Amino acid sequence: MPREIALADALVPGILLVYAGCLLVLWVIDTIVGRYGLYRYVWHPSLFRVAVFFVLFGAAGLILYP
Amino acid sequence: MSAVPTDLSSWRHPPWLREFATEERLAWVFVVKCMLAFYIAAWFSMLFQLEQPATTMITVSIVMHPHSGMVLAKSFYRAIGTCAGSLVGLLLMSAFPQQRELFLTALALWVGICSGGAVLYRNFMSYGFVLAGYTAAIVALPAISNPYRVFDSAMMRVSEVLLGIVVAGLVSDVVLPERLRQLLRRIAREHYQHFIDFARGSLGGAIPRAEMEKVHLRFVRAAVQIEDLRSSVIFEDPEARARSSRMQLLNLRYMAAATSFQSLHHLINRLQRNNHPRTAGALIKLYAPVGEALSPEPGDQAKPRLLATRLEACEARLPALAAELREELRQDPELLMEFDSGSMMLRRFASELRDFTSLEAALRETQGVLGGTVERVDFKRANDFAAPAIAVVRTFLTMITLSVFWIATGWPFGPSAMLLATIFSGLLATSPSPLAATANTWIGYALGMIAAYFVVFWFMPGSDGFLMFMLVTGPLLAIGPYLTTRNATLPGVGAGYTLGFVYILAVKNPMVYAPESFFNDAIASLFGLMMSGAAFMIIPTVIGSAWLRRRQLAQLRRQVVFAATAPLEGILYTFESVNRDLYHQIVQFTQQGSQESRDLFTWALAVHDCGRAIIELRQDMAHADLPPPLIDSMQRAVDSLAALYDSPDKTRWQRADEAVDHAITLTSQTLPQARASCQPALGHLLQLRIALRDDESALAPYIVKAPENPHAA
Repeated sequence: MPREIALADALVPGILLVYAGCLLVLWVIDTIVGRYGLYRYVWHPSLFRVAVFFVLFGAAGLILYP
Repeated sequence: MSAVPTDLSSWRHPPWLREFATEERLAWVFVVKCMLAFYIAAWFSMLFQLEQPATTMITVSIVMHPHSGMVLAKSFYRAIGTCAGSLVGLLLMSAFPQQRELFLTALALWVGICSGGAVLYRNFMSYGFVLAGYTAAIVALPAISNPYRVFDSAMMRVSEVLLGIVVAGLVSDVVLPERLRQLLRRIAREHYQHFIDFARGSLGGAIPRAEMEKVHLRFVRAAVQIEDLRSSVIFEDPEARARSSRMQLLNLRYMAAATSFQSLHHLINRLQRNNHPRTAGALIKLYAPVGEALSPEPGDQAKPRLLATRLEACEARLPALAAELREELRQDPELLMEFDSGSMMLRRFASELRDFTSLEAALRETQGVLGGTVERVDFKRANDFAAPAIAVVRTFLTMITLSVFWIATGWPFGPSAMLLATIFSGLLATSPSPLAATANTWIGYALGMIAAYFVVFWFMPGSDGFLMFMLVTGPLLAIGPYLTTRNATLPGVGAGYTLGFVYILAVKNPMVYAPESFFNDAIASLFGLMMSGAAFMIIPTVIGSAWLRRRQLAQLRRQVVFAATAPLEGILYTFESVNRDLYHQIVQFTQQGSQESRDLFTWALAVHDCGRAIIELRQDMAHADLPPPLIDSMQRAVDSLAALYDSPDKTRWQRADEAVDHAITLTSQTLPQARASCQPALGHLLQLRIALRDDESALAPYIVKAPENPHAA
């Protein structure tokens, strides 16, 4: 994964794309969990969501940029 | 109000104190969340070494809102608005790097369009538009004086604004969130209960007009409110997202049932007025089983499943009872027709009520996702393009005036004035009384700056580090959000104070001590705010004005044209929802109990009644195999009614009356040969005629008394 990516000749950090990808994954997870009503087993759904995102983004960042 | 249950109910204190405590608690929760968002945003922007942490803080102050439940919905539209705005800002700079006149004209046009969008769309979408304008201005304006670093500075601004939005969204969603879903559930149940109670207790006789008006208003508010909440809740709650289409369908069924109910009621009222008490009495008797079905044992009354099964049982009994009652009536064909039309409406109402209760039951009994698919229905809003167009022109002129002034004087703080004008043109464009709002905001803004003056020049120089920064700015900053929660009594002051404070605080890392730029900036931004207020004086807002109300009333009438001409696919929901949205918009600005609100109500009823009957009739025409001459005559009747409602006058009324009459005569003649296909169509035609000849309806002034027709009312 390159550190910087040229989008329309502007250099953007590669991690930005990872971030956007993680948001997408989070949205998918969120939809699936919500569809089956599993948030009833979670104390604080929005905090849980933020935590899941941190886990995803942190893991992706650490794997791609060791 | 909050959806969070308070545990203060166990207090043994006077109720006013309990209320006060609840209110204060909410206010302070909001203040705490605001402060958290401010300082987290500032801390991060300093951590990432962004140029102007102030931009992040300004964004937070624009974005934080006491209705915190809406934050995620808002954040979504705001992120879109911010991206659009920053792209436009970049485009403008790359397109006109050397042409300040063209640049400023294009920027003024963009900001104008954004404030138009803010007026056109509802609640959080309008915020997105405000931010699109603001971001374009904040990205492009400071970069003008720094042509070599245009792109970098623009990127910085975009990062700062987005950081502010993300932080505000997260804080609102995670820290002591207010769950809208509970509120939605509570409100939906309240409305359901109210509707059922009303349907149970009301058809024992006539309801006075004023009462009916109140009830209609309540039905309309309910439908619009539930839709507003639903469209926000789906952002914050994935479970609600999965059930969203069901909720929309429920709302549709609610609206349809309410309309049928009112039509039926209208008919009974009319029969009683015109001295046909027996026919009216027969209809009331026919209604009795429905009323019974709705009143099971006390204690079971709220269970929708039970009501649905009882209604189903009662539906099966209705046709027989109708035939029985019909036998007892005086055999006058006109009256019998009216009775048939009424009994058809009643059956329709019963089946709609059954659909409504069974769906409500399904929603209550299941957790999470419901199996199967439902038809897609969308709540349509009614938009009038006059108010947004005026907002576009007004904002464009404001921005152009400021630009010309800036270029002509070479004023170094022109950008500040323009930025403030941008923000408030968008924010205040939706206000029905923008002048008062501007004045309040201006006062708040000035107060905020005075407070910031003491902080910047008296407290800050002696402080060091982030903690000290929080301590010196916190107390005076907290006043802003607190005032925001007092929006009912002090509208606009809180928002002005917060914005003024963080704007002029101009947090930088490291902080600079620059009194002259402080005062220049303060004067410039107050000037910009005054300019946007002056623009409202020169081009006043049309929101809530009598002119716009007249336009909207004409639009409401044209709903009948829509019902008569639009394709049948999904027409019912569009028709019902736009009607209610329009009524809701107009009624906000009418005095309750005034002549105007009475007129509006009668028109709304007539439109509901007639439009709904037209839709049903068109569906009959499409599905039943009627002979072609009949279809032609019905089509003529529909077209003439549409023409009448488009611009009512006496000749059109006569034409419509003749066309409907003719269709009724033809249908009655073919009735013996094709009873199954003609009966429902005949019923709907009768309903249309009843609505036409109703001397208490909105069409009353256009009614031409026909002497050769003894049955005309």
